[in-house]
Amino acid sequence: MPVFKLCLHIYKKNIKIMIIYFMIFIGLAFLFASSTQTNEQKGFSQTKANIAFISKDNSPLVEGLRDSLEQVATIIDVPDEKSAIQDALYFREVSYVLRVPANYTEKFMSGEDVLLEKTTLPNSVDAIYINLQVDQYLRLAKIYMTSTDIDVAALAKYVAEDMNITTEVEMIQSSEGSQDQSFSMYYFNFMAYSLFSVLILGISTVLLVFNGIDVRRRNSCSPVKANSMNFQFLLANMTFSVICWSIYIVICVLFNFKNIQSGNMLLFMLNSFVFTICAASISFLIGTLVKNRQAISALANVVALGSSFISGVFVPQAILSDSVLKIASFTPTYWFVRGNDLIASMTKITGTHLNELFGFIGVELGFAIAFIALALVVGKQKQLSAES
Amino acid sequence: MFIHIFRYRLLTLLRDRTLIFWTMIFPVILATLFNLTLRNIGENEKFNIIDIAIVDDAGYQENTQFQQTIKELSEGEEAMFNLILIDEDTSKDKLLTGDIAGYILVDDTMKVVINQSGINQSIIKIFLDQYSQTSSAITNIIMENPSAMSDVLSEVDSREVFSKEVSVSDAKPDSSLTYFYSLIAMACLYGSFFGLREVTDIQANLSNQGARLNMAPVHKLKSFLYRSMASLSIQFVEMLILMAYLRFGLGIDFGSKIGLVILTVFVGSIVGIAMGAFIGAIVKGNENSKVGICIGATMTGSFLAGMMVGDIKYLVDKNLPIVSLLNPVNVLSDSFYALYYYDNYDRYILNIMILIGFSVVFCFITYLILRRKKYASI
Repeated sequence: MPVFKLCLHIYKKNIKIMIIYFMIFIGLAFLFASSTQTNEQKGFSQTKANIAFISKDNSPLVEGLRDSLEQVATIIDVPDEKSAIQDALYFREVSYVLRVPANYTEKFMSGEDVLLEKTTLPNSVDAIYINLQVDQYLRLAKIYMTSTDIDVAALAKYVAEDMNITTEVEMIQSSEGSQDQSFSMYYFNFMAYSLFSVLILGISTVLLVFNGIDVRRRNSCSPVKANSMNFQFLLANMTFSVICWSIYIVICVLFNFKNIQSGNMLLFMLNSFVFTICAASISFLIGTLVKNRQAISALANVVALGSSFISGVFVPQAILSDSVLKIASFTPTYWFVRGNDLIASMTKITGTHLNELFGFIGVELGFAIAFIALALVVGKQKQLSAES
Repeated sequence: MFIHIFRYRLLTLLRDRTLIFWTMIFPVILATLFNLTLRNIGENEKFNIIDIAIVDDAGYQENTQFQQTIKELSEGEEAMFNLILIDEDTSKDKLLTGDIAGYILVDDTMKVVINQSGINQSIIKIFLDQYSQTSSAITNIIMENPSAMSDVLSEVDSREVFSKEVSVSDAKPDSSLTYFYSLIAMACLYGSFFGLREVTDIQANLSNQGARLNMAPVHKLKSFLYRSMASLSIQFVEMLILMAYLRFGLGIDFGSKIGLVILTVFVGSIVGIAMGAFIGAIVKGNENSKVGICIGATMTGSFLAGMMVGDIKYLVDKNLPIVSLLNPVNVLSDSFYALYYYDNYDRYILNIMILIGFSVVFCFITYLILRRKKYASI
């Protein structure tokens, strides 16, 4: 099978650059997967915002405020310098900075108007959340102060006792125990970028070589039947695609061992396999269109990176705006990612879910057929124009 | 002589479509993609009115005090809750389908029912905690001093404010800017393709053109400088186009010090070209591997400067400050950040000094390698 062998030879020559894309993928996938692993606890836990607490006053009242803030916040040490506070807020190390001015307690107890200074992220939910607690603490203190005649220490003690009252929380769960699918989801979503790039680089390069006018003329007069040549060519590209796909799958299984028995994994594999076919057919089209190698790496970046960006591979679809998603729905990546998100959300595989999923997979297949058809038409036209 | 070399160099470089693609079109495309996906990233931390339900039973109907409190918080401009009154079974259904964040059962003691932990659920709980805490405080005081009743109630009802907002900067702390700033820095350093090309085209052992040039009766350093100026002009104009696109096309905020922003881009372009020349001169190997090193260095730098994950920049700045200072991508994006967000120029001036330092070192080493090279055979 000379044609088949030649294809493999071309793939081998290009393996370096493909490995780069593969390594980027592995790095990114694990970075994101590790950053999303949350300790899922049973029962309710109070959300804690990160805040900075800078106090120029030392008294039981301020101590009490700090303690009660610890119920709703993690207090992070930030140096009391303007640039450090600016950086911490900009990069969200803290979302709220509270500063107690000097002699605050004294003024507060004597009924003077004195305010704490806060620096918040505008309109943020954290600001509202922390404000609730700050205001509550000081309101209680004020109530005690105006209506009774006690000193700061006693006042702080009373307020602290009241602040410890909490409400009963009942947590109801959706009935099925769910497996953690977030790793698989991120992994397969990222595959849309990495596998897509690798396929474009591989398949398009082979096509570019075969479409070279000299090579084509030489091939036409070789004693190999056109049918056999086409068949070997197709077989080589399919083999390449399937091998790439299986490498990604094997790595996913290796690192996510505990979740592989689940049906969800099979669905992920099915979805990604159909996407692989689709990506291969797009690569085919690109291969028939481009004129040189440099253009391939440019196109690989634009097509794979671009479609991944707008389809929610790097940023979840939920955050993207509707107009972006509308544009994205003209790319197969969008349907692949929707499929993955759906599979990850399934705690139990039901008929309605499967119908929806097969709908998405159907769209991907449709794209694959459309692109292959387009590639064949363009290819034929080029051939005719070159021969005439 | 200058005009001749400069002009033809410009034409040669402008006709290299791959070069123009990577140094201009690619950053523009990337910026567009960033804009499509990252501009909304701040929405996550914004406050949205929380949907809650209260089980409309006898307990709730009897507790008029609570009714009044929760109604105050569900009405008006600064409402926190979007409240519905329904029975318990419907509440449960709505909770499981995600229509409400939680529902409240009012009885002798309050209870909140939720199905996940989160900030909205925490706010509901805190609100209920506070209701009980205030009730307890009132009871405490009235037990000791019944005459204080009216004082206490007026104090409870007063919506007194205990803190004021003090801003640390005129600029909004918009964290999505990190991505755009590091993107500009990346585009500056992609200028290294120009520098690399200049060195390749002037060294006799790297290209035929270089061999021919070494025969010409033109001083090599002069010729190299003129050609590099053509590169710098193209790179700088490309960067201005990118900046104009970011500012006017996408509405990215660079603050008010536009002159200094453009100066930074200029210095950044020099650093990029100098880095490319440096890599071209010092690395042995074919052009592909040199291009690979340029891309690799720029991308690693961009990653550490927060182009892929914004928090990385802060992590590196805090824990490995030396890496931040030696990473030209980070120093560049930090300059934009300092101009945008800081009132004083200390940090900006330090950054510009570092950038100039980089250029000088790169240029000097390149010069040492390029000069007076003789070839026994090529």
